[in-house]
Amino acid sequence: MGKIEWAMWANEQALASGLILLTGGIVGVAGQFAGWQFAAYGVAAGVFVCLLEYPRGRRAKGTSVERTGQYCLTVCVKAFGPITRNYYVRAFLHAALCVPGGFMLATVLGCVCLGIASLIYLLAAIRGEQWLPILPKTETREKPRESIKEPPQNPPPRPPADLRRKRLEDVEGAAYVNPIPVTGSED
Amino acid sequence: MAVSWRSWTANEGAKHIVLWLSANTVLFWKTFTLYCYGPQYYYLYKMLGLGLCLSRASAAVLNLNCCLVLLPMCRAVLAILRGSQKVMSRKARRLLDKSKTFHVACGVAICLFSVVHVSAHLANVYSFSLLYSEEFPSLNIARHKGEVSWCVCFAVPGVTGVLLVFILFLMFTASSHGIRVCSYEIFWYTHNLFVVFYMVLLVHVAGGALKYQTNVEDHPPGCLGSNWTGGSDNVCRAEPHFQAHFPQTWLWVSGPLCLYCAERLYRYVRSCGRVTVESVVKHPCGVVEVRMLKSGFTARPGQYIVLNCPSVSSFECHPFTLTTCPTGTEATFGIHMRVLGDWTERFVELLLSEDSAETETLPVVQRRTYPKGDWQHYKLRRLYFVWVCRELGSFYWFADLLCGLHQKLWQENRPDYLNIQLYLSKTEALQVCVGRQYQALSARLQVGRPRWPELLDDIGKSNKDKRVGVFCCGPKGISKALHQLCNSGRSCGTTFEYNKESFG
Repeated sequence: MGKIEWAMWANEQALASGLILLTGGIVGVAGQFAGWQFAAYGVAAGVFVCLLEYPRGRRAKGTSVERTGQYCLTVCVKAFGPITRNYYVRAFLHAALCVPGGFMLATVLGCVCLGIASLIYLLAAIRGEQWLPILPKTETREKPRESIKEPPQNPPPRPPADLRRKRLEDVEGAAYVNPIPVTGSED
Repeated sequence: MAVSWRSWTANEGAKHIVLWLSANTVLFWKTFTLYCYGPQYYYLYKMLGLGLCLSRASAAVLNLNCCLVLLPMCRAVLAILRGSQKVMSRKARRLLDKSKTFHVACGVAICLFSVVHVSAHLANVYSFSLLYSEEFPSLNIARHKGEVSWCVCFAVPGVTGVLLVFILFLMFTASSHGIRVCSYEIFWYTHNLFVVFYMVLLVHVAGGALKYQTNVEDHPPGCLGSNWTGGSDNVCRAEPHFQAHFPQTWLWVSGPLCLYCAERLYRYVRSCGRVTVESVVKHPCGVVEVRMLKSGFTARPGQYIVLNCPSVSSFECHPFTLTTCPTGTEATFGIHMRVLGDWTERFVELLLSEDSAETETLPVVQRRTYPKGDWQHYKLRRLYFVWVCRELGSFYWFADLLCGLHQKLWQENRPDYLNIQLYLSKTEALQVCVGRQYQALSARLQVGRPRWPELLDDIGKSNKDKRVGVFCCGPKGISKALHQLCNSGRSCGTTFEYNKESFG
């Protein structure tokens, strides 16, 4: 029920496969077993797959949980544009990468796991999913409002006209102290 | 934030983790030294070296963890254990609440030690091939020296081993937090592959690839052959005889597997009873209260139920905490369900058909029988109820219950027993209008999120040198903040014990 995002699972699988391939390659190289060159390839391919798959993609619906410290790799992976965005490319890339691992016992498990991840990516691609980066939202700063540049058009509010009328009969009583000191204009 | 040792041990220092770590370490070490120095493995060790010790030691740890991993998932058994108050202490109950964490710990240990086990066996496969023993042919797996390692792998342990890694890979990759949040179905269906995993495991250990020497007395390892003409005491009296081990894993795994299968069967049988939906009440903010009846159903406050509605989805099951438990007088039980997601939408659509005239928009007053008078029987001295909601309408879900309880406590002259604090986290475009009958609540309503450090400080100061249980049900942010605060020592000598609701 509901739309399953297969790409998320394929991503987990591919990351785990990269680690398995890497581990198998290290064991093969360290033991110097027959065909250790394939183990060396396994180490390189494992590292590459881990770096490619570490940045998690953004979910189509809902909140995305990113992996610790994935921002730098997100930027790198995003830089490749459609090559990394498209899951068909990833599916075929992983299928191609896993084949040499099948020639040596130490890396065969990594090969099988990467192959499965490649199939799930193919399924995700067929369902139209694509990789979108999780980037922090840049807060759009509000433009500071224009300050008032023009002088006021209307005079300040004043008491009613009958109070303002000059009271010649009582000049003393009509006097008041300005709350704000008034200075004469210079010019 | 500084962590107080006493608070940390109250919350994290559970003895079971220490016990489990010690058991794993001791088992690993004992098995490692047995295969390194044991006389019955002398010739095998000569052939395989460190790979033998590592593979067997990791296999022993895998046995232990494959046995333990199923036990925390026997939820019915754990519920019975937890509910038996006379038997279980509070510490033991808190331990049982962490059963899901323990299951995850065992699962991670299985994955890690599988990596060690597979790597060591890879080395063993090469050693079996390159160091083929002409002297003791029965010790070998390879058919001749230098046999291609591929062929060595096609024995039963090899094929089953690859299958086990494949299943573990599927289960592990689908168990991450991201997948469980995003597509729970993938997690659920892959995790149920555990049955296949255990079946294949039982076959895997029956392969008998590694053998031990049975006649160590007659043929002390390193003894001199019978054609040795010089005098010596250390002469072999017989040829060494090698035999495969009895698969110990069968003993480790069969008990928990049978228990878990019995548990699943019991849960299935229990779920077959008919459930009648008595009433459906629509509350504000997209919450629906569903009252149900089922004969023979009992539950206690704090428990949750798992709902399955075949008309909506045959296989999906969703947990909901019980908000009304059946009592002696009233057999109905109820849940409050937030409509968020396709299953709940379809479920509510099914319940609230168009011509239903019984839907109410006001919460139903619940008549509960509270203990009369004598509160001294209960260890609980004071309850702080802190509820944070985004919208005002959410508080109406339980407004009647809270007001009723508050009123009752006032009448019994226990006004300080229940401290209600309501917080409205959405601070913009507010119009706080609460009905007159909920005045007790509106007086306790604050706008803005609660400040947890200050809140816990206040509680600590009012309850010095006491033990305060913190029960959190909410998003991860709050849970994490509260957990950290409970671990840090506040200066009042109060211990905060952190508990989180989880549908384990």
